[in-house]
Amino acid sequence: MFPVPHQPRLKEGEQIMARMKFLCDTERCIECNACVTACKNENEVPWGVNRRRVVTINDGQPGERSLSVACMHCSDAPCAAVCPVDCFYTTDDGVVLHDKDICIGCGYCFYACPFGAPQFPSGAAFGSRGKMDKCTFCAGGPEEDNSAEERHKYGSNRLAEGKLPLCAEMCATKALLAGDGDVVSDIYRDRVTWRGASGLGSGWGIAYPDGDQTRRRGRDLDGKAAGGE
Amino acid sequence: MSKKKNTRSRHARMIGRSLVWLVVLALVLPLIPYALAYKDTVPGAVPNPGTTLWEDVRQRNAPVSGQTQVGGVDAGILINPYGETWRVFRMQYLVPGGAILAGVVLALISLVFLVRGSMRIPGGESGEKLLRFTAYERIVHWFVVALFWLLGLTGLILLYGRFVLIPLLGPEGFSVTASASKEAHNLFGPLFLVAILMLLAVFIKDNLYARGDLKWLLKGGGMFGGHASAGRFNAGEKIWFWLAVLGGIVLSVTGLILEFAILGQPRVVMGGSHALHGIAALVLIVVSFGHTYLATIGMEGSLNSMTNGYVDANWAKAHHDRWYQEMTAGEGSDSPAEERGAGDAPADGLARPVPDN
Repeated sequence: MFPVPHQPRLKEGEQIMARMKFLCDTERCIECNACVTACKNENEVPWGVNRRRVVTINDGQPGERSLSVACMHCSDAPCAAVCPVDCFYTTDDGVVLHDKDICIGCGYCFYACPFGAPQFPSGAAFGSRGKMDKCTFCAGGPEEDNSAEERHKYGSNRLAEGKLPLCAEMCATKALLAGDGDVVSDIYRDRVTWRGASGLGSGWGIAYPDGDQTRRRGRDLDGKAAGGE
Repeated sequence: MSKKKNTRSRHARMIGRSLVWLVVLALVLPLIPYALAYKDTVPGAVPNPGTTLWEDVRQRNAPVSGQTQVGGVDAGILINPYGETWRVFRMQYLVPGGAILAGVVLALISLVFLVRGSMRIPGGESGEKLLRFTAYERIVHWFVVALFWLLGLTGLILLYGRFVLIPLLGPEGFSVTASASKEAHNLFGPLFLVAILMLLAVFIKDNLYARGDLKWLLKGGGMFGGHASAGRFNAGEKIWFWLAVLGGIVLSVTGLILEFAILGQPRVVMGGSHALHGIAALVLIVVSFGHTYLATIGMEGSLNSMTNGYVDANWAKAHHDRWYQEMTAGEGSDSPAEERGAGDAPADGLARPVPDN
């Protein structure tokens, strides 16, 4: 029914690593702030820092939309480019992390980041600011996976346990998606298609054309007919 | 006859020009409605809500700040477009620009030294000494110098360390160095404002514009031959003084904005302050190379004025003739030399200003 999304052609035996991405669906986010709370609790984020926040544009007006935003784990991360001590690194999964043992807390990443992801912790003595803190995609830091030290410095390492970031996992409306960028964008593209851009693109019949409320659009992308299940 | 011919050719030219204008207007005028339509982008059309939303998020048309339950600086801003501007400025202009500027200035100074060598005092040392800087003036100067180089070096470590020092020290080693640099920079930075204001107070009197400064500049300070007459400070020194004072104030103000991030200034202000801070610092650093050169190996007899305070009379005659005349004019009890020397016991055992009645 719909064309198969573009898949990069792989050579024989070649594997591509997943590139982890967040995506927030503005048509679904209801500004409940559960992602913010979940993140703070799961990672025991320092006082004064919120690794994730929900921002509402045009609050109370027509066209009001909410977006949950955190580190977007850029491919060409500005924070990494401007860091004077080069403490940022990208994991094999495409997650941008920083090493708090090397970070000097200068705040340059805070100036450069478009999303306001790296933040100063609340002031220590004499207004000094300590090491920066940012979203880790629930992937911890450079220390040994799930060690006490890693947990103390960076919070949870759910990726090492085979889980996705808690903010997205527990999003009630599934507005916030996290995972392999290809999969996330497939899900979102499918949603947009089914929501439809025309005036007819809403209602029960459009959302569940076969009366199957648990249909998984991802399976249909293999090229099978949508109603074939 | 010829007059008539002239009129005719003038008419022909006018007609020719009118034709050209006619053609141009015929081509351009019909485009105006299109241009207006393009500018207004179909008035009355319903805007695409998706487009509007993402234009707001990207702050394409106007700064848009959303509502959020989360506290913190700029929390309502989804995408801060100035971050990228600052990144491009720092990584593509400030870092390479500063290195190139410093390299060029150092090369020029080396070239001048190779060609001219150290400038000797004309006629050699006379043995007669004049007090050029009192102890207080020297203390203020070296206070500024000490802070300038402490802050300059720690700042340069933060700007260039990633490229120069990480290969030498390794990431952990450089992290310790950079952390210490940052702390020293932040701790001693605010003192620089005090030092600069002291410098201003002590030296402003003799650094105001005086007659002859323009002439000195036009003569290139006597660098290309000929004598350039000057008072206590020549025009070059005056420019350096004002550059140091104004640059120092810019550095101090932007530095305080950067240091006290806890006051909650937005990222735009901090990025802009950092840019100004970097430019002012690099300009002062490269100009200070020239100042240091002329005060040490570039010109014989200069350095003494800032160490023990005295210069040779022949040095004064050659480089600051009007000041020399002032100093030696009265020869009486109210001579400026005497005044300056008063209360400034030369602990170094050097002769007091010679005219001692």
